Amino acid sequence: MTDGLALATRGLRKSYGTRMALDGLDLSVPEGVVYGFLGPNGAGKTTTMRLLTGLIHPDAGSIELLGRPFGRSDRHRLFEIGALVETPAFYPYLSGRANLVELASSGAHATRARIEELLELVGLRDRAGDAVSRYSLGMKQRLGIAASLLSDPTLLLLDEPANGLDPAGIVAMRDTLRHLASTGKTVFVSSHILSEVQQLADMVGIISAGRLVREGSIQSLLKSEGVVRVHVAATEALAARDILAALAGADAVEVDEPMAAWLTVRLDPKRAGEVTQALAERGIYLSGLEAGSDLESLFLQLTGGAPSSHEGTFVGLGGNGSSGANDQDAATSAAAEEAS
Amino acid sequence: MRLFVSGLRKLSRRLATWVTFGLLAGLLVLILVATGATYEQAGDAPGAVGRRALLTFPGAYDSVLAFIVGLGGLLAVVYGAAVAGSEWTWGTLKNAVARGESRSRYVIVTFAAVAAVVLVGLAVTFAIGVGSAVVGSNLACISTAGLSDSATLGALPERLARTGFAIVEEGALGFAIATLFRSQLAGIGAGIALYFGEQFAGLFLPDIMQWLPFDAATAVLGEQAGIGGPGGGGIEVTALDPNTALVVVAAWLIGAIVVSALFTERAEIGG
Repeated sequence: MTDGLALATRGLRKSYGTRMALDGLDLSVPEGVVYGFLGPNGAGKTTTMRLLTGLIHPDAGSIELLGRPFGRSDRHRLFEIGALVETPAFYPYLSGRANLVELASSGAHATRARIEELLELVGLRDRAGDAVSRYSLGMKQRLGIAASLLSDPTLLLLDEPANGLDPAGIVAMRDTLRHLASTGKTVFVSSHILSEVQQLADMVGIISAGRLVREGSIQSLLKSEGVVRVHVAATEALAARDILAALAGADAVEVDEPMAAWLTVRLDPKRAGEVTQALAERGIYLSGLEAGSDLESLFLQLTGGAPSSHEGTFVGLGGNGSSGANDQDAATSAAAEEAS
Repeated sequence: MRLFVSGLRKLSRRLATWVTFGLLAGLLVLILVATGATYEQAGDAPGAVGRRALLTFPGAYDSVLAFIVGLGGLLAVVYGAAVAGSEWTWGTLKNAVARGESRSRYVIVTFAAVAAVVLVGLAVTFAIGVGSAVVGSNLACISTAGLSDSATLGALPERLARTGFAIVEEGALGFAIATLFRSQLAGIGAGIALYFGEQFAGLFLPDIMQWLPFDAATAVLGEQAGIGGPGGGGIEVTALDPNTALVVVAAWLIGAIVVSALFTERAEIGG
């Protein structure tokens, strides 16, 4: 099904009772990339991670890992895969080092030298002899990342790896993952920290309500989903709309309600100059312009900015959850706290 | 093999291991030494014959074994449940499965490590118990001449093996219960409830009780538990003969391990 893909799913379905968690998920993750798997809370990211690591089994659909089918009887395929699924789990009474040693006794073999190398990599060498029960969340997260790298995996599956990491830790993790991708390994990272994924990933897949709603390289997605917003005098808004419709197409222009003086044009931000020029030529001068294409805008646009209905949402003081990015940030923070 | 050795390492570093065996050995020492120390003062008070039997060799060997099967059985249930349940509660089973480890192999090997630790604990506890009985005998001025009774010593390996088998079966039950509950706490609670529930079952189902796991484990030694075990509380229960009990215990043991392995093999593993 999948030449050149490190990971592929086709029609993947999974439900818990009456709730559909995944509804025909089709993922295509090429080899040697960092792939950001984005979605709001409850969209199906963790369910996907569990399916990819054999913790649960699909109701329908297929999974291919490293070019070969992965089913109930193919657990050996996981020997080439490292995973951090949900919160890192360890024996609390054992030290960080001992946890890695014991974990290395299951699945693919890993040497003591490899364990020491990983403890150094994640900055835990000095605390490797301490019991994990005395670790902070960030330290546990780093140990979890080390655990996922134990067998020098070809494909790395990380579920919210930045949870609990301090800024320096996030930068170090990003560098490490980028380095792994540069050596030909594939890194699949689920996250709801959009800015992090935008800096880290080569490709993204956005999942909403159990379905993949967009997949592609960051550059191509942002280019196709770019937005230019212009502010004009309220009396000129309709005229401006017609001019911009001629430039970008009628479907691409929206007059923002209730602030009728703002118009949104779905257009490559690099064409913002054409927008100003077209309006100026017709005697309409801008009093404000925003041109951008960030993952957050795209994410909110594709997912509606809301988690799936069964999880609810953090609506903030405004109460209606309609103020876009700020609410998403709040929801993200709340979810991160919940996870911690 | 490395998984088994890893299991032993994990258990040997675990506080629950030392607390469990410390509790069993500590109580054994306390009972035997205290009985010896108060033997003279108690005089002909009720129970004097029982106290003397507890400290008189070679019968003291059986007293120690009966105590281990009795209270040790309860602790084995708790210990088995603690080990199996923590794999779910802490999420460490998830780690192993996500690394491609066979679920059933992981469960069986983890249980094998529990069984090995329990057997070592049994041997050590028995040695401590015998030592305590000697101390108690000396305190009570009871002869220890029977300590080297050749017939008893000759039969001792078999009786130790039977005790070990019974204790391992009781640990397996706790292990299976915690696996089914996917929880350390629920497994321990349910295991204890089952242990005591079986004794209550004797009130209503005296003919069936002998086939139940804890009473069958007790019957493996060929007698009712002396101290601390099921079959007490004044309930008259028919015990299985030791060899039949051995088969019944084997069936419970294998059943518990198979149930644990099958359940884990088919389970959906979450957080």
